[in-house]
Amino acid sequence: MSDDRTIEADVGVVGAGPGGMAAATKLAAAGLRVVVLDEGQRAGGQIYRQLPNGTNGHGLMAEPPSHDQGHELIKSFEKQTERNVELIHGATVWDAQPGRLWFEHEGASRLLRCRHMVLAPGAYDRCIPFPGWTLPGVMTAGALQVMIRGFGVVPGKRALVVGSGPLLLPTVTSLLGAGVEVVAALEASSRWQALRALPAVALHAARRREAFWYLKQLSRARVKLQWGWTVFACEGDGRVQRAIIGKVDRSGRPRRGTERTIECDVVGAGFGLVPSIEIGLRLGVASQFAATRGGHYLVVDAEQRTAVATVFAVGEICGIGGAEVASAEGELAAASILREEGGAAIDPAVVARARSERRAADSMLRAFAPLPGLHELARPDTIVCRCEDITKLAAGQAAALHGESMRAIKVGCRAGMGPCQARICGPSLQAMATDNTACTMDLPVVQVPLKPVSSETILTAPE
Amino acid sequence: MSGRIAGLGERELVEFTFDGEQVSAWAGDSIAMALWAVGQQALRNSSSVGEPRGVLCNMGICYECLVVVDGATVRSCTTMVRSGMKVQRGGKL
Repeated sequence: MSDDRTIEADVGVVGAGPGGMAAATKLAAAGLRVVVLDEGQRAGGQIYRQLPNGTNGHGLMAEPPSHDQGHELIKSFEKQTERNVELIHGATVWDAQPGRLWFEHEGASRLLRCRHMVLAPGAYDRCIPFPGWTLPGVMTAGALQVMIRGFGVVPGKRALVVGSGPLLLPTVTSLLGAGVEVVAALEASSRWQALRALPAVALHAARRREAFWYLKQLSRARVKLQWGWTVFACEGDGRVQRAIIGKVDRSGRPRRGTERTIECDVVGAGFGLVPSIEIGLRLGVASQFAATRGGHYLVVDAEQRTAVATVFAVGEICGIGGAEVASAEGELAAASILREEGGAAIDPAVVARARSERRAADSMLRAFAPLPGLHELARPDTIVCRCEDITKLAAGQAAALHGESMRAIKVGCRAGMGPCQARICGPSLQAMATDNTACTMDLPVVQVPLKPVSSETILTAPE
Repeated sequence: MSGRIAGLGERELVEFTFDGEQVSAWAGDSIAMALWAVGQQALRNSSSVGEPRGVLCNMGICYECLVVVDGATVRSCTTMVRSGMKVQRGGKL
């Protein structure tokens, strides 16, 4: 039965970030009809997020050199949206089978049928619970980026930036660009740990340029990155007003007695990223675990193909790696699909670029493995599961009583059972509740709907 | 309007209410960011402790910014403002 809620495409792409845009652009240029589903309002993803339509933000804030590539990518992609690409923004994908993606869009239940699928949903911030992290004004580094670069809204007057890994730098520069005073920028890793990233950065021309640009911005604003420091607690009456900061040891364990209080009205925390693999798992794609790749990630072959026929995966869901990896892999996935469609053999240069970007990202991110000691920042009464208001103590008791698996902890105390489906607490909950210093975790159990949607959407889903 | 990065140029004005109070926003704002720009950060009370919560991820992952719009619970960070919408604090799925 034909139904105007069902649309058909040669290729369905999930995500309009660098990976999804690169794949869609190449496929569409070759004449295939592509539908891209994205939860945001405009193309770009989180990394190249654009201000709302009608905003004149060009040149207003300083941008790192890599964003030139982002603008190019968006321009070519948007040119294709006038031809063979349909971008459906504000779309929440809630179920998937090979060849079919169910999504909610403007309150309607819709279905995309496609012969091939490219998954490029990206990643989200890894959260580390600490006392006061639930106060309004304390948010992820990604949230600050969205606020500033996606909406042109000023986060506050005095910002504290904490976390670990390469994302702290863009967070600081965005805040400076928005006219916010950065009262401190705290990198939990020690300078010596971070130095392990140096060869990978030095050997990669684009990353080297990028690093210099960031350091120049920081020095111009007289912001100094403090190594081996992090936030111990946030305090305030109904919103964050001050933070207690202190030193941590090599494993991230807080060194009590080093505390200092710092006034601030916004806190951005960026402890790395977690791959958004739920759609892939639902489709039956195999996964692997590597702490330095953000946790569980999807397994693909040398041409971005998963073991599930017609399903390709690119970018952060194949392991955290950044925009350059994502766009290179997106282009490679497109080349693989075009060959399957009877097109030319894959250009070896496309394969080589994807592999070398991935290698460079892996060797850089090896320096920023999750620090298990940071799990000691939370006190027994600190809420770790924000959806269900479950404390660290309760999660630990559940693990002791019911077992150390994620499922046992969930059943024992309801942690991870709320609407975020453990995306926020999951990456640290199990390690924290079981004192697991390797920071491993069970593979998330896939639930349908993959994200909460209205029961109407599920009941009226097109077949 | 306070809370906006200067020099972006003005977009079309959109008026809505938050717990009955009039809020002026710009077309293209999410509810969460329109409220942030006017100093409203607490968007709901948590499910059992009842403490104030606001934007955490700002990208539709965490469900901390749930509000009620014309009777339906939505994520305020992924729902765009519409003229005349009635937004209420609260929101629980």
